[in-house]
Amino acid sequence: MSPAAREQFFGVQHAFDHPLTLWTTIGLTVVLAAVPLVIFALARTQLIDAKLRYELFQRYYSWLVMVPLMLVPVLLGAFWTILFICGLSLLCYREYARATGLFREKLISLLVVAGIIGLNFAVLDNWYRLFVALTPLFVALIAAVAVLEDRPKGYIQRVALGVLGLLLFGTCLSHLGYFANDSNYRPVLIFLVLAVEANDVFAYIVGKSLGSRKLLPNTSPKKTLAGALGAVVLTTILVVALGQFLYPQSYLDTHGVSRWTELRYLTTLGIVVSVVGQLGDLVLSSIKRDLGLKDMGGTIPGHGGLLDRFDSLILVAPAAFHYANYFAGIGIDQPAKVFTGG
Amino acid sequence: MDDWRFEPARDVGLTEPQRWRSLRRESGLVSTAIHIVWWAFIRTYLALWHRLRIVGRENLPSRLPFVLVANHASHLDALVLAAPLPWWLRDRIFPIAAGDVFFEVPAIAAFAALAVNALPMWRKNCGPQALRELRKRLADEPCAYILFPEGGRSRDGQIRPFKSGLGMLVAGTDVPVVPCHLQGCFAALRAGSKLPRPMPIELRVGPALCFTNAPNERGGWEEIAAALRKAIEQLKDSGS
Repeated sequence: MSPAAREQFFGVQHAFDHPLTLWTTIGLTVVLAAVPLVIFALARTQLIDAKLRYELFQRYYSWLVMVPLMLVPVLLGAFWTILFICGLSLLCYREYARATGLFREKLISLLVVAGIIGLNFAVLDNWYRLFVALTPLFVALIAAVAVLEDRPKGYIQRVALGVLGLLLFGTCLSHLGYFANDSNYRPVLIFLVLAVEANDVFAYIVGKSLGSRKLLPNTSPKKTLAGALGAVVLTTILVVALGQFLYPQSYLDTHGVSRWTELRYLTTLGIVVSVVGQLGDLVLSSIKRDLGLKDMGGTIPGHGGLLDRFDSLILVAPAAFHYANYFAGIGIDQPAKVFTGG
Repeated sequence: MDDWRFEPARDVGLTEPQRWRSLRRESGLVSTAIHIVWWAFIRTYLALWHRLRIVGRENLPSRLPFVLVANHASHLDALVLAAPLPWWLRDRIFPIAAGDVFFEVPAIAAFAALAVNALPMWRKNCGPQALRELRKRLADEPCAYILFPEGGRSRDGQIRPFKSGLGMLVAGTDVPVVPCHLQGCFAALRAGSKLPRPMPIELRVGPALCFTNAPNERGGWEEIAAALRKAIEQLKDSGS
C-alpha cells in the first residue's frame, strides 16, 4: 500500500482538516447534548405528555447511538468508512431477505452477500472497472446458479428478489462508500448524509403542519404533497447553504468554476437529493405494503428496522455519486487498485 | 414442488434476544453457517471421544417432518440424536430444550439458538399454548423436533415416567415419531458432573410410529406416551 493510500485509509490526523467536518461534528455534539434538556423542558411545561416523552426519548437514544456510529468511521478514515458501509449494506440486506422470505433461498442469499462484499472490496481498492463489472456479473451468476436447483416453479420471483437485493444494497449503497475514495470525502459524505436525513425531517414536519392532499395514499397514507414539495424547497436551501463551504475558493478558481455555476450545481444537487431521497423512502414503503409489514425489523428502537431509517439513502447514493462524478470526478486523484496493484 | 410465496420470516420484527427465545425462529445465513460448523464438530467429537455406535440407522427418516424421542439422562442426549442426521436438514432440526436451563442467560440462549438450533420449553409454566405453537409449526413447514418425554434428565439412569405433552404435538397427524434409546450417556455425563468422560455411547433407533388415529385429547396423548415408552423400553432390552 502506498503512503498516499495509507493516509487516505487511516489518516485520522486529517479528520478535522476541513472546517465543515469540524463544525458539523461540534454542531451534532451540541444538538445531541441539548435534546434531552429540551424534552425535559417540554415535559415540565406540560406541552407533551408522558407517552410522547417516552417515545421522543426512545428515538433520541437511537440517534445517540447512530450518530457516533456513522460519524466516527468517517472521521477515522476511508478504510473504516467503507467497512462501515459494507456492514450497513449487509445488515440492510439481511432485513430485506427476512422480510421478503428470500433468506430461505440460501444459495441465492449467499451470492447476494458475496456480491455486496465484492462490490465493497472494489470500492476499497478504488478499482472502478471492477466496481462496474461486478454488478452484471453477479446478476448473471444469480440467474445461472438458480437454474442449477432444477426448481423452475418460482424461479422468476427468487431470481428477481435476489437481483433487486443486490442492486439496492450492493450496487446502490456501495456508491456511498465510493465517495470515501475522494481526498475531500469527509465533508462531502457528512454533507450528503446530513442533507438526506434533514430531507426526511423536513418532509415529516411540513407534511404534518400543512397540506391535506395526499402524495401516494396507497403507498404511504401519511405523506402529503405539501410535505414533499416543502422538503424539496427546504433541502435545496440547506444544500446550497452548506454546499458553499464544501470547496474552497482556490479549488473553484483552479477548476474554472464560477460562483454562479457552483450555485447552479448545488441547486440541482439539492433537488436531486430531495426528490430521490423521498422516492427511496417510498420504494421501501411499497415493499412494506406489498409484504403487509409495518416495520422491516426491530433493530433500532423507535424507528423500526435499519431500512426504515436508511431507506432514503439507498437511491440517493448512486444519484449523488454520478452527479458529482460527472462534473467533478470522484476518487480520480487517489491511488487506484490499492490492494490489487496497478 | 412449492409455489413461491412472499412470506416474511416468522420471527420478523423481534429483537435479537427475543429471536433466540422464540418458537418461531428461522435460521438465516449466519446461523446456518454456525450450525454446519457446530454439528461437524459434534460429530467428530462423538466419534472420537465416545466412539458413538448407531444401531438401526436405516430407521432414521430421510424426509421431514418427523419427531425423534428418547430417554433422557444427560446433556449429551440431544447432541447424540441430532448428530447422525444429514447436514442439509440442520436448519430444520430443533432440539426442544428446557427454557430455564438454556434460555435464561443471554449468552447461553444465543449459543442454544445459533449453534444448537434449540427451541425453548418452559417447564414451570409450560402452557398448552407453546405446545400448540409447536404442533402448528410441525404441520406448516417441513421441520423435525428432538424431544425427551420424561421432561428432564433422569438422576439415576432409569427411565422416568413419560409426560403426555408430546402427544399434543402429534396426535391425529401423520408425522412419524421415531423412538430411540440412548445407552452410555448417563455414564458419560450425568446430571451434576461438569466434564464428559470418554465412555462409549450407543444410539438405538427403532421403527417410526404414526398416531394418525389417536384422538387429540388427554386419552390419546396418554396412549401415545405409553406406546412410545414401550417402544423405547423394547429398544433398551433388545441390546442387553
